[in-house]
Amino acid sequence: MLYKIIIATVSMASISAILSILLVIAERYLANYGECNVTINDDEEFRTQGGATLLSTLNSQKIFLPSACGGRGTCGYCKCKVLEGVGPILPTEEPLLTAEEMKENIRLSCQIKIKQDIKIEIPEELFNINEFRTNVAMIRDLTHDIKLVRFSLIEPNEINFKAGQYVQLQTNPYADVKESVSRAYSMSSPNFEKSHVDLMIRLVPDGICTTWVHEYLQEGDDVRIIGPMGDFYIRESDSEMILVAGGSGMAPMVSLLEDIAHRKIDRKITYFFGALTRKDLFYLDEMAEFEKKIPGFTFVPALSEPEPEDEWDGETGLITKPLEEYLQKIDAIKCQGYLCGSPGMINASINVMKKYQMKMDQIFYDPFG
Amino acid sequence: MKETPQEKKIYQDFRPGKLTKEGFLGSDTRHVHEIIEEDKRTLSQLGIEPETIADRMQYFIEEGKKGLESNVDLGDFTVRVNWFRGMLPCPFGEPNLHHKITAVVRNKALNQEITFTQLGVHLIGSHCFFMGHGNRFRLEPDDLVKFLKIN
Repeated sequence: MLYKIIIATVSMASISAILSILLVIAERYLANYGECNVTINDDEEFRTQGGATLLSTLNSQKIFLPSACGGRGTCGYCKCKVLEGVGPILPTEEPLLTAEEMKENIRLSCQIKIKQDIKIEIPEELFNINEFRTNVAMIRDLTHDIKLVRFSLIEPNEINFKAGQYVQLQTNPYADVKESVSRAYSMSSPNFEKSHVDLMIRLVPDGICTTWVHEYLQEGDDVRIIGPMGDFYIRESDSEMILVAGGSGMAPMVSLLEDIAHRKIDRKITYFFGALTRKDLFYLDEMAEFEKKIPGFTFVPALSEPEPEDEWDGETGLITKPLEEYLQKIDAIKCQGYLCGSPGMINASINVMKKYQMKMDQIFYDPFG
Repeated sequence: MKETPQEKKIYQDFRPGKLTKEGFLGSDTRHVHEIIEEDKRTLSQLGIEPETIADRMQYFIEEGKKGLESNVDLGDFTVRVNWFRGMLPCPFGEPNLHHKITAVVRNKALNQEITFTQLGVHLIGSHCFFMGHGNRFRLEPDDLVKFLKIN
């Protein structure tokens, strides 16, 4: 009996060992895709070792597709058209692609791997996206959970962007976080000041990037950012601009207002900013300055839970309340909407804007998921 | 319990710094399977399905969303939902994505507060995973059932 057990055990161990060796061999040879050609827009071409994702391969060539999640397949921003050289749509792509996009061979570049020669199409403006080496020049508390961080650009030392656009901030490894991650943040700095980038970053509970910024990042640290990216910028028009933001959604609005004041754009602008209590409000002095510099500008802050000690005599309630009261008084159908904040606030504001006939193609926001 | 190589790869995502800063296991040294099995036994003794708990938690998230980060009064409870930008994948490797939503629910009668996430609701409802001990979002199944007044 014992003899049979020993034979069975040895046999099982031998089979397992043989299977393991076969797997190693298969991985070594079958997963070796060799060198592959990547052709972009039927124009540019480069050779690369196969096996990596399309997004990381493009990044290695200093070609950066927009991405808010850093290649984890959660934001859906790194879409590009693949003309040939890739297999069927992956389960990890499906939640982020529409039926229309699937038909048009739009793929998530962070999910597909290069295993053979591949042809892709990407918009020309994406070639303007750069990777910047920066140094943290200043960190300042704006509220109890939002910090303003200034990144001085070292190489390249200038950035050209449209007010309202965002950059990807790449973390350095810290504590238990051994890998770098990247997240998208709108720039609050004016686009005519090209030597630095300012970001407003709100602490997300258990967030990898925001915890790094709030608890580990120091002035003087070297950090990499990639940008500019995004379709949130001023659309030239004479129509009134309705701005709605909350929390760190203030960032792109400040950049827009700086640009408007700098270019002396003559438009009516009403900016609704929502916060819970007085301690969640910030940049009030800056907004008062904008009201002086931009003749048609009005700032409307609203507190949803003002404390007695706040002695608040401004608007109260959810930000949608003063927004709705205002839209019903004007010819809202002609207005443009610019939104930045939590997805819940954006959704609620869009609903109010649609109720007053504002056109969806005149409402602009970066959803970031 | 033996792990397949695929399971080993998946369970890396439970560790700190992979999907979230603290990960999902806290200071718990048990395997994910063992954590789930023990919590399943607790629920079985209570005669409650994890989906029932998840449905109740989802109700609070949906009601809380209406408050745009302010407190929403729901009678015996209040809820405040913070909805941050971005999505999180499930650490069990499913392709579905989950909004970065945190809900703080207060049970007025008990004068107690709990905090959970949208991903946490999914982990309970679909995987009966209540997080490891020591994780900031760990909820004890029996306490949670009482807190949510599910019985």
